[in-house]
Amino acid sequence: MKKGKYVMIVTISIVCFLLMMVIFMQFKVTQKSKEINIDTMQEAELRQQLANWKNKYEETKKKREEVSNTLETYKEESSSDSKTQEALEKELSTLEQALGKTDVEGEGIIINLREKKENELGDDESITPIFANDLIYIVNSLKDAGAEAISINNERIIGITDIVDIGEYVNIKINSNYIRTNEFEIKAIGNSSYLESSIFGKGGYAEQLEISGIKATVQKSNKIRINKYTGEINFKYVEEVN
Amino acid sequence: MNKKREIIILTIMCFALSIAIAVQIKTVKNNGTTIGSTQSESNLKAQVLKMKEKYEKEYEWLEELTNELETVRQNVSSHNDGLKELEDKIKKDNLLLGNSEVKGQGAIITLNDGKADFNLLDIDQDPLIHAENVLQVINELRNAGAESISINDERVTNKTAISCDGNVIVVNGSKIGTPITISAIGSSARLATLDRTGGTLDIIFRKAGKIAEFKKVNTVELPKYSGVYSYKYARNID
Repeated sequence: MKKGKYVMIVTISIVCFLLMMVIFMQFKVTQKSKEINIDTMQEAELRQQLANWKNKYEETKKKREEVSNTLETYKEESSSDSKTQEALEKELSTLEQALGKTDVEGEGIIINLREKKENELGDDESITPIFANDLIYIVNSLKDAGAEAISINNERIIGITDIVDIGEYVNIKINSNYIRTNEFEIKAIGNSSYLESSIFGKGGYAEQLEISGIKATVQKSNKIRINKYTGEINFKYVEEVN
Repeated sequence: MNKKREIIILTIMCFALSIAIAVQIKTVKNNGTTIGSTQSESNLKAQVLKMKEKYEKEYEWLEELTNELETVRQNVSSHNDGLKELEDKIKKDNLLLGNSEVKGQGAIITLNDGKADFNLLDIDQDPLIHAENVLQVINELRNAGAESISINDERVTNKTAISCDGNVIVVNGSKIGTPITISAIGSSARLATLDRTGGTLDIIFRKAGKIAEFKKVNTVELPKYSGVYSYKYARNID
C-alpha cells in the first residue's frame, strides 16, 4: 500500500517534469518562429535593395562604356580636328539633353488638372484652386518614378526650376514665367506605367487632389514631345573645387 | 480502489503528454519551412552585397575614366579655338549638372525633429520633419536664387526626388537621417529671406514645433552628384 503511493508520486512527478520541459520547448520554438516572421518581412526590403543596386550598376556601366568610347575617339583621332569636333559635339549634346536644353520625344504620360465644376463635386468637396505645392508634389513623384523629362504648360522643369504661388489665387510662376490659368497640362517622358501609377496608383496624389475638388486625368502615349528650356543657365556664385 | 484511481490519473497524464508532444512535432515541422526562407534570405543578403560591390567597382572605374577624359579632351582641343570653345561649354555644362564638387557663398540650414509639447494641445503641432517639408525648402531656396544645393551628402539635381520610406527621408535613393543639413550656394543675403520673421522657415518648421537653424556662410562646399545621367525613353529631336 505504502509502496504503491510512492510509485504513484514518483511517476506523476516524472510525467509533470517531462510535460513542463515540452511546454518550455514549445515556448522557445514559438518565439523563434516570430523572429523568423520579422526576417521574412525584411526579405521584401532586401529584394527592393537588390533591384536598386542592380539598376544603379547598370546605369553606371552604360555610362562607363559611353565614356570609354568617347575617350577612344579622342585618343585615336587626335590628328583629325573634324573627328574631334564631332566627338565634342556629341558629348555636348548629351549634356545639353540632361540640362533640358534640347527638345525631346518618347514614351510617357500627359496629366491634366483643373478645378472641378459645381456639378462634379462630391460630398464634403469644395472648389479649390491648384496651388504651387500640388505641382511640386506631382513633379517630385514623377521624378521618383524615373521621369526623364517633365514640363508644365510647356515650361520645361530643369535643375533650377522653382514653382511658386504669386497672388492669393490662380497665379503660379514657373522658371520666372507667369502661368495665368488654373488649368495645367503636365507632360512626362519615361516608363508610362510607372509614371501613371506614381500619381494615380493607390495612395497616389490624385486621390488627394480628388478630395480637394481638383479633377485629374491621365493619358498614356508612345510619343510625347517636350520642348526645351529656352532661357540661359548661368551660375554666378558657384565655382569648381580643384 | 486506490489502484484504479492511480491508473486513471496516469492515463490522463500520458494523454496530455502525447498531445503536447504531437503539437511540438507539428510546430517543429512547420518551422522547417521557415528555416528554408532564412536560408534564401541570407543568400539574398549576399547578393545585395555583391551587387553593391559590383556597382562601387564600376563607379570607381567610371570616375577614373572621367578624369582621364577631361585631360585628354583638354589636350586635343587646346590648339584650336573652335574646339576650345566646345570644350569650355562641356566644362560649364558639367558644372551646371552637378558633376563636380563645388564651393561658394551661400547658406546652411539645419533641420531637426522637435519635441511634442503635450501641454499645448496645439493642433498645428507636428514636430517631425517630413519629406514634403524638405521638398518645399528646396523649392524656396531655388526661388531665392540658389544655384546648387545638397542635402547631407547628396547633391540635388534635376533628377533628384525626395521621398519617404517609413520614417526615413530618401534623397537620390539614399536614406537621410536627422539632423538634415541643407547647403545652398547663392547670394547669402537673398537666401536669408527664408529666415525672416514669418518666412518659409517660420511657416513650415518653427510654427509646427520643428527645429530649423539658418546660417549665412562665406564658403560652403557641396559634393558632386553620386548618380549618372542616362536616358532610356527620351530621345533628342534636333
